[in-house]
Amino acid sequence: MSDPILAFDGIGQDFPAPGQRAPIRVLDGISFDIERGKFVAVIGPSGCGKSTLLQMAAGLLAPTRGGVRHHGRSVSSVNTEVGFVPQQAQLFPWKTLSQNVELPLLLRGVAAAERRERVANALASVGLSGFEDYFPSQLSGGMQKRGSIARTLVYRPDVILMDEPFGALDAQTRMVMQNDLQALSLEAGATIIFVTHDITEAVLLADHVVVLSQRPSRLLAKIAIDLPRPRNVFEPFRNEGYEAAYDAVWTEFRSQIDIGRIH
Amino acid sequence: MTEMTYDTASVAAGAAASPRRSRVIQIAHRLLTWLPGIALLLFWQWSAGRLIKEIYVSKPTAIAERLFELFTSGEIYPHLWTTGQELVFGYLIGVSGGVIGGYALGRSPRLARIFEPYVMAFYGIPKIALAPLFIIWFGIGMWSKVALAAIMVFFLVFYNVFAGVRSVDRELVNLTRVMGANQRQLTFHVFLPAAAPYVMLGMRMAIPYSVIGVIVGEFTSSTQGLGLFIHEASATYDPAGVFAGIVILLAFVMIAGALAGRLEKRLLRWRSPAGSGPTDI
Repeated sequence: MSDPILAFDGIGQDFPAPGQRAPIRVLDGISFDIERGKFVAVIGPSGCGKSTLLQMAAGLLAPTRGGVRHHGRSVSSVNTEVGFVPQQAQLFPWKTLSQNVELPLLLRGVAAAERRERVANALASVGLSGFEDYFPSQLSGGMQKRGSIARTLVYRPDVILMDEPFGALDAQTRMVMQNDLQALSLEAGATIIFVTHDITEAVLLADHVVVLSQRPSRLLAKIAIDLPRPRNVFEPFRNEGYEAAYDAVWTEFRSQIDIGRIH
Repeated sequence: MTEMTYDTASVAAGAAASPRRSRVIQIAHRLLTWLPGIALLLFWQWSAGRLIKEIYVSKPTAIAERLFELFTSGEIYPHLWTTGQELVFGYLIGVSGGVIGGYALGRSPRLARIFEPYVMAFYGIPKIALAPLFIIWFGIGMWSKVALAAIMVFFLVFYNVFAGVRSVDRELVNLTRVMGANQRQLTFHVFLPAAAPYVMLGMRMAIPYSVIGVIVGEFTSSTQGLGLFIHEASATYDPAGVFAGIVILLAFVMIAGALAGRLEKRLLRWRSPAGSGPTDI
């Protein structure tokens, strides 16, 4: 087992509750590691603080208890070595697609010639060549999402944090994006933490699925998914061993879903 | 506006199927806009002397004649020059102050907590009431009017910029920080562009207010300017003179508005890019 690239270490998080003195405990002692080149999906019921974990890894939020270590160093301020792909594409509406993708390089002081080349490569890798001069408002939801992913890939971050990136897309677009993400991550050997509430998505994409419980959320299981790659995301049931893998996750997850309760 | 863009878009899509017909439609649209104005002028011309005494309302032809006189004799030029300078200075000072103040308070919640109540309180003061005071402070000349226009412009621009900077999506800001932006880069790549529509809105809204500020100042006390000219015309029962002055102010506001509109179009090109994009994934 190689050294973990990112480690969550006894993370606890309280948020002030409106109108109450006692804060709400959201995360309660969560620890898990992410190894280099692995795709880790984090699933849990809504409101369990999945996204909060990503915020902490990016250094945008300090945990109440515990800490995140990146390469063994504790994350204490904004972590510019990671990439963040939010739920909404969040492209800059005032920049063209290529300017959007170029921005991280510009901010990091990469020379102009290299910027051009890397932007072209990143756009090509997500299939958006030819749309360089389009503004985000001129692109479809799926294309914006691809742009958002290209903008993250372009600076080759150590770890890519994805916060329900395909949650807002329609079913077909979503499958195509899942397929493309699988190909991209295999090719780049990227380390990815992928937050989702979709078990199928988690099982199809991930090497490990981390299952969190309801608030106050604890780690229920970290399940290895050993399906061979590339996996067929369009017809999940055709993957050898898919049912067993789904079952393993569902067994942990089912206790957290009780019908009739409002989250 | 929406119809216009729709027209041009469909023209482009139709691959110049009937450029002449679309041109006719465009001209018809424009005529439609002018129609109520022309009707009003015609009615005014007809009713003056018939329904209402001309001494009360003058009439369009008399006003046009007076305007022609004013410009050919050169009588109006000193007034124009003075008022023009007051407007430009007042507007520029007000806008810069508003942008700087609004931006600073928008970016810093701490500053905002301290100063917002004060700004709010001063905002509530009817600025026109300050006119006599400003005359005492800055004299009867140009600068009292500049100050009055500037303070009216300031608050409008200030509030728009303040709101604009505060409305910037936190997630977008955080995302940019993770990408590696420092504070200065955040300002130029995120906050300023995001606030630009609000800045432009404030700047456009402020144009008529700068005119109000200057004219009220000149009404109160001055030695030269369009406000004084209008004031004197009205004091000597000369409605044609009053309206001539108003027409000139109207032209001022419209030209400034058109310039601001062009600037806005240029700066905010991304808001209404031409052509609809592809719809596939």
